[in-house]
Amino acid sequence: MKKYALKRILLSLFTLLVILLVLFILMQLMPGSPFNDEKLNAEQKANLYAKYGLDQPVIVQFFRYVGHMLTGDFGVSYNISKNTPISQLIQTRLPISIGIGGMAVAIGAIVGLVLGIISAIWHDTFVDTIATIISVIGVSVPSYVFALALSYSFGFRLRWFPMLFTAKQMFSSSVLPSIALSMFTMASIARFTRSEMLEVLGSEYMLLAESKGLSGPALIFRHALRNALIPIITVLAPLIVDLMTGSLVVEKIFAIPGVGSLLVTAIQSNDYNVVIALSFIYSAMYIGIMLIVDILYGIIDPRIRLAKKEGAA
Amino acid sequence: MNAATQASGAPVTETAVFRPDDFKLKNNADEIRVDTNFVSQSFWKEAVIRFRRKKSAVFGLIMILLITLIAIFGPGMNGYTYSGQNLSQKDLAPRVPGIESIGILKGDEKISTTNGTYVVNNYKLKNLSNVYYWFGSDTFGRDIWTRTWSGARVSLIIAVAAAFIDMVIGMSYGLISGYFGGRVDNVMQRILEIANGIPQLVVVTLLLLVLQPGMLTIIFALMLTQWIGMSRIARAEMLKLKEQEFVLASRTLGAGDFFIIFREVLPNIIGPVITQVMFSIPTAIFTEAFLSFVGLGIPVPQCSLGSLISEGFNSFTTHPYQIVPPIIVMSLLMLSFNLVADGLREALDPKLKEM
Repeated sequence: MKKYALKRILLSLFTLLVILLVLFILMQLMPGSPFNDEKLNAEQKANLYAKYGLDQPVIVQFFRYVGHMLTGDFGVSYNISKNTPISQLIQTRLPISIGIGGMAVAIGAIVGLVLGIISAIWHDTFVDTIATIISVIGVSVPSYVFALALSYSFGFRLRWFPMLFTAKQMFSSSVLPSIALSMFTMASIARFTRSEMLEVLGSEYMLLAESKGLSGPALIFRHALRNALIPIITVLAPLIVDLMTGSLVVEKIFAIPGVGSLLVTAIQSNDYNVVIALSFIYSAMYIGIMLIVDILYGIIDPRIRLAKKEGAA
Repeated sequence: MNAATQASGAPVTETAVFRPDDFKLKNNADEIRVDTNFVSQSFWKEAVIRFRRKKSAVFGLIMILLITLIAIFGPGMNGYTYSGQNLSQKDLAPRVPGIESIGILKGDEKISTTNGTYVVNNYKLKNLSNVYYWFGSDTFGRDIWTRTWSGARVSLIIAVAAAFIDMVIGMSYGLISGYFGGRVDNVMQRILEIANGIPQLVVVTLLLLVLQPGMLTIIFALMLTQWIGMSRIARAEMLKLKEQEFVLASRTLGAGDFFIIFREVLPNIIGPVITQVMFSIPTAIFTEAFLSFVGLGIPVPQCSLGSLISEGFNSFTTHPYQIVPPIIVMSLLMLSFNLVADGLREALDPKLKEM
């Protein structure tokens, strides 16, 4: 297990380094230079280059770059808000995005689990059909369509929730975007839970538990759900990643001042520095989540833990 | 053994001679018939039967065919072009000849202001009695019907092309990695893990910053990110198949590695591969729409479903009809491809339990 975890960590770090290298090369390939002001003469330009270390060999620049990125020094924004450090821009936005993302994961996981369990217990009934239709639609329809529909119906027509995000009503204005974001997670978890639960419910140890006299919630939660939950953790990681992508559009629709909308603005205004910094943050978060889930999975599932040990011995 | 001792113990002295009337025909042509209950079917025939039994998959297939047909012929069905602007006829609500007489789609639109909600008909206000925009017109006076279907065409081309290229790349990668195993597999799988560690969002965003936005760039970006899933499936199938006798037989007959990979194993994994392609098409449609929404999509005046949704979003509270057609077409397309993929997975893999 330790060996496995170490291997995963090393691979993750290497991946991060590759990403940094790609980002660095991209920065080198970007057309133009940050100092394309016509008023600057050659000497002033050279001074500026020296100031920012752009006159040094590429390899030195790269390692300085890696150092800067890892310590959270992403440089300054060129277009969005001139000369503001990007870390400062991100600092206020990241908690908002993570908050909404977290809410979406929570809603998606809980509702998805409930839907999945219900349709597994009463499978091939009317309830199951409804749950299946909901989950098929949830998987197929992109989150921003839900976002638009929710914002139009509950925000614009019914006025139950604010259409646009306001910091004053933090909670009530997070409700609609969280629901819109959670749809895909919810649907995938519901589908997955259903098939896992069906498999577990048909197993022999469930028959044993039943013949011991257990029934109702104890049977479902203590015996069935526990075993069904393990594989569900594996789908959670890619789902969280999809959430990151979805958040870009959903944040734009609800005008949420999060990292997603910052990235969209940065792309549209060609603020390369911000795009690159956010790409790095997204990648780091992605790699981190994948790593945690992989290791967690190894810890939780005894079959994997034991298999790994046997393989190592 | 028994029969032999008997035969030797009691040697046959007489040879039996058959006479013509010893046997006669039973004439039972009416009684015998081929068993139709458990008739043997070819794999594909059976797959088609299983697929047709799944209603949702058939529905999906019909929807895909229908949308594809309208995407091909729809833009030419009225006089408008996808880029033709007519600023004097902007923001007109849907109006369809024939249906307008029964009271719907006659060009009315609700306007909500601070003074309350009222219904206006811009066709009447502007004296356009002979003008029909079936899905309405947008803020530049372009026909939404034409734009929706040419957008669907662009989205479909991108999605299908990307899925096909992914299939070729991912399949070859996975098959080669699985077949050779050992060090080759190890190196190839590490490269794949690193590629998989980079979020698709980041790859696509960065690529489109460097390259010119356009159809080819989007296909290229999708190609770079979507092949991983396919290669995993191909590799897993290869690992299952490569120890089987038909591979050994082929090798014994002198077949080379690449002959075995592409001519012997490949035809046997076509089922899971097709299923995966069907699943990757909706992903491609979604990614394209997402890119357009972010502003990295098809350049104007060309349009795709994503860019239409993005344009409609700007006025979706005042003129909701502008965003509805592209959203419905895209959602239906993605839903249908998912349904068909689900059906195919069950049809092509009989071992899969009915779940």
